[in-house]
Amino acid sequence: MANRAPMLRIGQQDLKCRQGCGFYGNTQFDGLCSKCFRERNDKQRKKQRASEDHEALYTGASSAGGTMEHKSPQHSLSLGRAKPKKQPEKEQPHNETPTASSTMPRKKFTVPAVLQKTLKNKLAVPQQPRVPSATEKQFMLQLRQLRIPDDAKRKLKSEIQRLDHEIRKYMNNNSTKNVDELSDLVQNAYTRVADIVHNDQRFEIATNEDRDSAIDFFEKVVMTQNHNLLFSPYFTTDEESDIKVQKRIRQLSWITAKHLDCSIDEVNAEARDLVYNAISELVGIDSYYSPQEKLLCTVRCCRHIFELLKRSTGGPASADDFLPALIFVVLKANPVRLHSNLNFVNRFTNASRVMSGEGGYYFTNLCSAIAFIENLNGESLSIGAEEFDALMSGEQTYSTPWESALLACESLHLISENMKCMEQLQKRNSVIATGIKDFERELIEFQREVTEKVDTVMAKAPLTLLPIKTPPFLISQARAHLSQDGVEAVAGHYQTNLLSGGLGQHQLSAKSKEKELATHEDSHLEAAHTLALKDTSIGSVGRLSPLHQNLPQPDQLFASPIFNYTPFDAVSLLEESSENGDVLMLGSEFQGGLTNINYDFDLSDQSGENSVADESKLNLDEFDPLVQQRQQIASTVPNSAAELSLLDTTTDSLIDCDVPLAGALLPSPLKPEVANYRGFSNFDIPSISCNTGDFSSLNQDVNDPGVPAPSNK
Amino acid sequence: MATTPRSGGSGSGAAQRPNGTSQNKSCQFKLVLLGESAVGKSSLVLRFVKGQFHEYQESTIGAAFLTQTICIEDTVVKFEIWDTAGQERYHSLAPMYYRGAQAAIVVYDIQNQDSFQRAKTWVKELHKQASPNIVIALAGNKADLSNIRVVEFDEAKQYAEENGLLFMETSAKTGMNVNDIFLAIAKKLPKNDNNQGSVIKPNGNEPTQTTNNCCK
Repeated sequence: MANRAPMLRIGQQDLKCRQGCGFYGNTQFDGLCSKCFRERNDKQRKKQRASEDHEALYTGASSAGGTMEHKSPQHSLSLGRAKPKKQPEKEQPHNETPTASSTMPRKKFTVPAVLQKTLKNKLAVPQQPRVPSATEKQFMLQLRQLRIPDDAKRKLKSEIQRLDHEIRKYMNNNSTKNVDELSDLVQNAYTRVADIVHNDQRFEIATNEDRDSAIDFFEKVVMTQNHNLLFSPYFTTDEESDIKVQKRIRQLSWITAKHLDCSIDEVNAEARDLVYNAISELVGIDSYYSPQEKLLCTVRCCRHIFELLKRSTGGPASADDFLPALIFVVLKANPVRLHSNLNFVNRFTNASRVMSGEGGYYFTNLCSAIAFIENLNGESLSIGAEEFDALMSGEQTYSTPWESALLACESLHLISENMKCMEQLQKRNSVIATGIKDFERELIEFQREVTEKVDTVMAKAPLTLLPIKTPPFLISQARAHLSQDGVEAVAGHYQTNLLSGGLGQHQLSAKSKEKELATHEDSHLEAAHTLALKDTSIGSVGRLSPLHQNLPQPDQLFASPIFNYTPFDAVSLLEESSENGDVLMLGSEFQGGLTNINYDFDLSDQSGENSVADESKLNLDEFDPLVQQRQQIASTVPNSAAELSLLDTTTDSLIDCDVPLAGALLPSPLKPEVANYRGFSNFDIPSISCNTGDFSSLNQDVNDPGVPAPSNK
Repeated sequence: MATTPRSGGSGSGAAQRPNGTSQNKSCQFKLVLLGESAVGKSSLVLRFVKGQFHEYQESTIGAAFLTQTICIEDTVVKFEIWDTAGQERYHSLAPMYYRGAQAAIVVYDIQNQDSFQRAKTWVKELHKQASPNIVIALAGNKADLSNIRVVEFDEAKQYAEENGLLFMETSAKTGMNVNDIFLAIAKKLPKNDNNQGSVIKPNGNEPTQTTNNCCK
């Protein structure tokens, strides 16, 4: 560009990129388009990396243009020098003020120049590398990219330079220094710049956003350039505070999320990752130069915390949740130079930044978190003062899952998690153990209760077999009858036994709760008795049941009300109805009465029912032929009784007594079921399911003499 | 109040945001929420900002810092709402938050006498330590549960009048009075012609001290 002849008018060609790529070029990019400019930049940077900055500065200052113009500070200088040549052709079409762009870079360049001068004169020289030329270059580019008029840029640059100068001057004079004065100085400069940006006519056409970015830029440049001077200045106590708070946080390492009442799950891996993110951002605050970047870092840190809280609480977190979580993160992060950073931002950033806006809000939260950490005591963690002291002094150890998680050693962390898992398992195990014990106790209790209940029931309803209330003459008559007919002794005995038993049962039921029914039943029974007596005389009863025609009348009659078979016999009923009205009448009455009795038995005493059911069944189905074969007068009653005797050995002893003991008789009604079952097993039917496929057992079965059930059948 | 154009729900306020060329005046105010925890501070703000109670948008990352713009009499008022932690243990940190705030809403729960007492402490503290022209509003939240109230309306009303506070009973759940209380604050706040940059001056001066042209 330097070798072009100045012209008043410029053609379309001159606006295009000098490389001829077809895109429009830009004066700020040396007449190149942005892409070509960057390419060339990179190339040249590589080439000139080796050359020393200082050297370059001086050579650059003496020799205009050419090779040096793209090194950031030098570049601007060379541009400045080259101004007369390029200015007319490049600047005019873009700007109202022809000198704007060229003046601006020169002013920009003066920043490092001033800096260097001061650094050379003063002891601050070794700090110089903290402001690398790359940053300078970046700022140059940024300044160029600001969408404000060029004279506004120039003004901004001069303000930067001015503040820069003021800071250095303050730092370099020998009077006692006060950081507040320095802060005021910077803040006043901000106010001044804000005033200029908003009210100066040079900024008139800029939008609000552009003005804001101009102010931002100003702050950023000044702060970055002077970071080394303003950050934790030697005349403040920032460093001591840093060390103090760091030590305190280390002492507070035992604090868990629970203490802070915050909903961070320390053990959850996902939550931990988010906490790590937040921590790394928090620690990262120290690595930025400008307050804005530090604030942005804080915002990012807080966003991670919100993300974390959102997952644990389900909705957007409020400050009630957020502040404890932030305190937790600060405690676990223990960032370096905490106070220095906070103070740097507080003193030297635009005060509006920390008073408003999202960054300001989160920064305020960070400040309050640190204030809380510095002032916390047992009360604020809801633990006792003594415990707090013990924990602080390290007398009382407190292992936190977080601590172990923080250790780089993942295996240790794993161990801690496993131990936690084991602990949980142990807890569950003990729960199971106690459950087992409880269950055992319950079982015993249940057993006891059942026994007790059975006992009470048995006590309440003892099966007392009282002497038969039937007129004694009837019994004697029956006995006489039996003996006369030459009945098998066994059958006869059973008959008696059952007669008495049946009566006992009846009395039992009569005693039981349903008194009305019982009395009703009693009346029926009495009716039955009388009927029986009547019938005896008539001698018609035998005909009632075709099966028992030979039955001795008294026996039949005694048995029938109790065991409920003959009168219920459908055939007999039919016969009844067909035969004579008298009997029918009596019979139907009788039947109703008997139904009641029977029902009552069912409820009050199951043992009674058992025997009844067995008997009726046996009577009707199986044992009929047997009865006939024996040619017995014996009704189903004696037959069933005979079966009972087969199954129940105890009955044998009872047969003989007229008045059997209640206790002795009690088991008998209960037994038929069991006995029945045993009766099957007596046949020794092999349990097929058990031994299928097992040859040895099969052999045993075969060898067993009792076993061959199939053959038996 | 009902006649005032307003942006009750979400978004419509943002549409009216000036883009620098707008003729509307614009002000930005920092509003601090104070009150015991679980009185519904954040619910109140979420209702105001997002127009919602339980259904949160995915984008709502946190309810601690929110902004909402409303239009009132040709002026665009942008509220920047700072929530504070209500737990007793963080009480002492509050001054950091209400430093430089132009407005404060002190929230209590009408079912909770303690929260009302705490609210009174906040008001006292604000009078003592906050900027003198701060607009304070007292909000008795959870008004939808007024059948089991503990703090009587008249009692709170009287207290508010004695201390020069705006007072409303609100319900974040039903939305009752939520927009109204913010509008009332916006009306009471002094609005100067400058745009937002000068409302909060960079050097920390209180802009509310310079002008006092209250709408009320």
